[in-house]
Formats: sequence, C-alpha cells, structure tokens
Amino acid sequence: MIRTENLCKSYGHHSQYEVRAIHDINVNIAKNCFVVFRGPSGSGKTTLLNIIGTLDRPTAGKVFLYDKEITSFSDIAFARLRREKIGFIFQNFHLIPRLTSWENVAYPLIPLGISLKERFERAQFFLEKMGLGDRLSHTPEELSGGQQQRVAIARAMINDPEIIIADEPTSNIDEETSAHILQYFEELKIRGVTILVATHSAIFEKIADTVYKMKNGRIE
Amino acid sequence: MHKHLNLLFLATENLLRHRTKTVVVCLCIIAILTPFITAIAISEGIRSQSLNSVNAGADLYLTSDEFGRNAAISLKYLDEIKKIFGVTKIVPRIVGRGFLQNKLTVIVGIHKEDIPEPVTCISGRVFENTNEVIVGHELAKYFHLNIGDQFSMRCQQRKVFTVVGIFSADSGIWGASMIFMPFNDAGDLFGKENVATDIQIYSLPGHNSEIATDLYDIFQNEAYRLQDKQMIELYVKKGFMLKEGVFSALYIVAIALGVPAILVTSGFGLSERKKEVGIMKATGWQTLEVLELISFEQLLISLLGATIAIVLAILWVRGFRGAFIAQFFIAEITMLPNFALPARFLPLPCFISFFFAFLLTMVGSIYSSWRASTVSPVVSLQS
Ligand SMILES: Nc1ncnc2c1ncn2[C@@H]1O[C@H](COP(=O)(O)OP(=O)(O)O)[C@@H](O)[C@H]1O
Ligand SMILES: [Mg+2]
Repeated sequence: MIRTENLCKSYGHHSQYEVRAIHDINVNIAKNCFVVFRGPSGSGKTTLLNIIGTLDRPTAGKVFLYDKEITSFSDIAFARLRREKIGFIFQNFHLIPRLTSWENVAYPLIPLGISLKERFERAQFFLEKMGLGDRLSHTPEELSGGQQQRVAIARAMINDPEIIIADEPTSNIDEETSAHILQYFEELKIRGVTILVATHSAIFEKIADTVYKMKNGRIE
Repeated sequence: MHKHLNLLFLATENLLRHRTKTVVVCLCIIAILTPFITAIAISEGIRSQSLNSVNAGADLYLTSDEFGRNAAISLKYLDEIKKIFGVTKIVPRIVGRGFLQNKLTVIVGIHKEDIPEPVTCISGRVFENTNEVIVGHELAKYFHLNIGDQFSMRCQQRKVFTVVGIFSADSGIWGASMIFMPFNDAGDLFGKENVATDIQIYSLPGHNSEIATDLYDIFQNEAYRLQDKQMIELYVKKGFMLKEGVFSALYIVAIALGVPAILVTSGFGLSERKKEVGIMKATGWQTLEVLELISFEQLLISLLGATIAIVLAILWVRGFRGAFIAQFFIAEITMLPNFALPARFLPLPCFISFFFAFLLTMVGSIYSSWRASTVSPVVSLQS
C-alpha cells in the first residue's frame, strides 16, 4: 500500500551545514499493517513520517501510495490526500488554542460544507469514544496532556482515514493514557486502518506487525 | 455553497476569538475613514445645496468686467435691459461683506419685492422703509437681536439699522449669517451710488442668446460680462473641487500615517496564526480554503469598520456639526458651526470607503497568509 524508494531528505542542501535527516529509505507497508519506526531522537523518524504523510517533500526518492507515485503530486492533490486518506497525530498535539475540544475535532469538516449540527454530532461521537464525553466544551488549555492527545486522535479519526500517522503519540503523556491509546490503535487495526507510529520506546512493539529500527537517518 | 457559509461563520468566530486584533484593526479603519466620509458628506451636501440655489435663481448674471474679473455694474442701462424681448424680470443686487462687531456677515442690498423666495421671515416683517433690515436667525441669536433692536455698522459709511424681521432660509448655511437691507441703504453703506454688484436677469426659455446680442448692442464699448446658469454652476463645482483638493492634500498626510498602521495590524497576528494554518493544512484544508477564510475575515472586519465609521460620521455631522472638517468647505465658520450642516451621505462614497478598507486589510494580510498557507505544512507547524 505504501512503498518508498531510496527516500532521502537533506536540510541545508548544498551548504557546508547540510544535514542528511534520512537517506535511502526503502520500506514496503501492506494495507492494514501496524508499523512502528523505532529509534533515538534525531534518527529521522519525524522526517520520514512527514514525507510519507505528504506534509513535506523529499530531496530525492519516491513515495508510492496504492502503487501510484505521489511524490510528483501538486500541493492541491496532497491536501486532498490528507483530507481523504490520512489522519495525523503529533507528539505535541497541535490543537488550536481557544477552540473547544469538539470544535478542534470538527475543524477538518468545515471546508467540506458539513453543517454545524452534524459536525458537532460527529465530533461528539469520536470524543465519547476517546472517553472525553464530558470534555466537549473544554479548550486545550483546560485539558491535561493525555486528554489533549485523545482530542487530537479524535480529530485524526473524524474523516475516517485509511492511514493513521502518529509521531511519538505517547511521549508527552502519562502511562495510563498511553495504555488507552494503545488499546485504541488495536481497535483501529481491527477496523482495517493502516497505522504508522514513530516512537523511541518499546510500548508499541507487542502489537506491531513490523518494527523498523532507525538510526542516523537509516533503517537498520 | 455550504462550504462558503461555513467559512463565513468561521471567519466571524475567528474575529471574536482574536478580539484584540479585531478591535485594533477596526479602530485603525475607523480613524482613517470617519473624517473622509464626514468631509465627503459635508462637501456633497453643500454642493447640492449651492447647485439647488443656482438652479432656482436667475437665468443670466450680468456684471461689468475689470481685469477679467466680475466688477460692479452701473445701473444706467437698467431700463433698456428691462425692455429686451424675452427678459421677464431683472434684479439688481449689492452683495458685500462687512463686519458686525467681530463677525463677518454677508450684506445683501435688494429691492423689497426681489427678496428671493426661500427667504421667509420667521418673526417680524420684511423691511419697508430705509434703514430697516432683516437678519438671519443665526446672526440674530448670536447677537441676541430682537425685532426693534438697533445696531450700527460701518463699511464705507457708518449707518444705524433697525431690525424689523428675522428670517430663515431653506438653504441653511447661506442664510444663517446674512443681512438683507434695501438696495439704496446697501449702496450708502458701501459708499457706491447707482451701481449693483450684479444684475440678475430672468428670461423666457430659449431667449438667452438673443438677449446676449441685444446686451452687446446696449453696452457698445463698455466691458461687461454675461454669465449663464451653467457657468455659475461650473464655478460652484470648481470651487468645491478646489476645496476638496485642499482637504484631500491634508487628508493624504493623515492616510500616510494611518495606512501603515492598518497594514501592520491586519498582517500582525497572522504570524501567530501560522501554526493554526499549519494545523489546518495538515488536516486537509486546501490553500484556497485557507485564503478564502482569511479574506472573509478581512471582508467582515472592513464591513464592520466602515459601518462604524459611517455611523460616527453621521454623528459627527449631526451631533458635532462637522467640527474641524466643515471649515474646509464653508468659509469663515468657527470650529462648531452653529447651524444645521447640509450633509449628504451618498451610497457611493460609503461603498468606496468600505472597499478602501477591504483593500487595505487585504493588502496587509494577503502576503503573510499566502506565505503561511503555501509553505509546506511542516514549516508552518514548527513555528
Ligand atoms: N527543519 C530542519 N532543519 C534542519 N535540520 C533538521 C530540520 N528538521 C530536522 N532536522 C534534522 O534532521 C534530523 C532528523 O530529525 P527528526 O526527523 O526530527 O528526527 P526524530 O523525529 O527521529 O527525532 C536531525 O538531525 C535534525 O536535527
Ligand atoms: Mg521526531
């Protein structure tokens, strides 16, 4: 389903300070797979996931999605892919401040022309699933880290994506919520979602189908 | 359609959410637009009033010509002019200026039967005898003049007048500080005999050119000037363009100071929202949708700012009688003109103001928002 071919990304290209964040990454991820990229910080996990998730473009190499080469797609096509197929979960949640939980979760639905009522109902559904039925009208500032991450997961799920990309989803939160998230990911896998997780800890390994060990921008 | 409505609602919410910025931008817009709208409204009002009075007035204006300017005209041909075919009425007038104590007033010497129609006595009667005058109501109020009071005035001669009537005129400003007196008294006051500052000629429609030919025969070698309604109208319009020009020049200075403020404030805060844009892009928003949202925000804020500016301009004109601005358009008025200003709020200037505000806020925000929404989401997310 997702395949990369000699994927490279350098920062400060052509300068003496060039940093090769990743090089020659070749992965092949089947549909409905649970893949973990494990490595120390600075090993290129975020860079790789961002490129696979169309948030960034590689310096060289190709990404294939359903056997289609997407690296050459336009920004517009990228945005459409993100809207229709991909849900993101970030290490530091990336919620919009001063918006309530449900508004944050329903934010991606606004440009789809979905009515306020339906947006609320869908956000409520996913937030209840994440155990936040009583925090619908709280803003991120009023929530703990673990709660914020669960809001972010609800947001990632709102468009019913085929792929979930989670970049260190449990690094900034407590163990109890981590366990909850783990359990939820298993549930998603049962429902056919393909999941890519970057992490530096071992907690996802027991449910992972594939673990890629990363070091210095390479897969070992 | 739903999509655009959603974006419009979200734009409204965003303005409320970023309240401080909204208020600051709004204040800038208001500060720039209010004087502009006020000035245009006053100028338009006075212009239309002047044109109305020109329209209601005589068909031809006869003066003599000295150095290419209008000059007083002798009355010796009065009877001959009256006899020209097509002339229905002639009105010799003396229009001059003189100080009544410290206040400059317009003095009109005119025969009793020629007093223009819009001038009506609100108390007392029209003058009958020599040295009787009627004064405009504002002037009467200013000097606490009542019927029967006497005052003296000095121009070329000192004369003592008795107030027999107080009048108001439809065209507010022009009548407000005028004094009407018998033609001969005005002649005495200014020390001129047998001349008028102009002779107004009322004519049958379509006879103006024949009248002009006859006048040419009458005046022979004497330099005279004949001006028709259209020319007077043109003068009025030109005069206003000049005054508007003076105002614009001053105003441009103000704008030069205010515009950067709008540009900065409407762009400011967008960098703070860069991360928000990054989140939007990461969750599937298209660049165009982000830009549409931001444009809606600028549209709404301009609409809000312009509306408040228009309301304030109306208050300025009605409540504060155009203080500080009216004097650009009306000579010799004090800061707070004490009469109703003839202001006209036309839709076009209001629309232009709104458009101007929109343009400014868009210019201020479009670059930063375009930047924020076109760079790859990773970059905006990192900020
Ligand atoms: N915007 C950037 N500019 C320059 N170097 C970067 C940038 N982002 C990441 N890097 C570098 O790329 C390497 C990989 O980073 P990253 O993908 O964030 O690793 P990880 O997520 O595994 O911690 C690091 O050495 C980091 O310093
Ligand atoms: Mg990382």
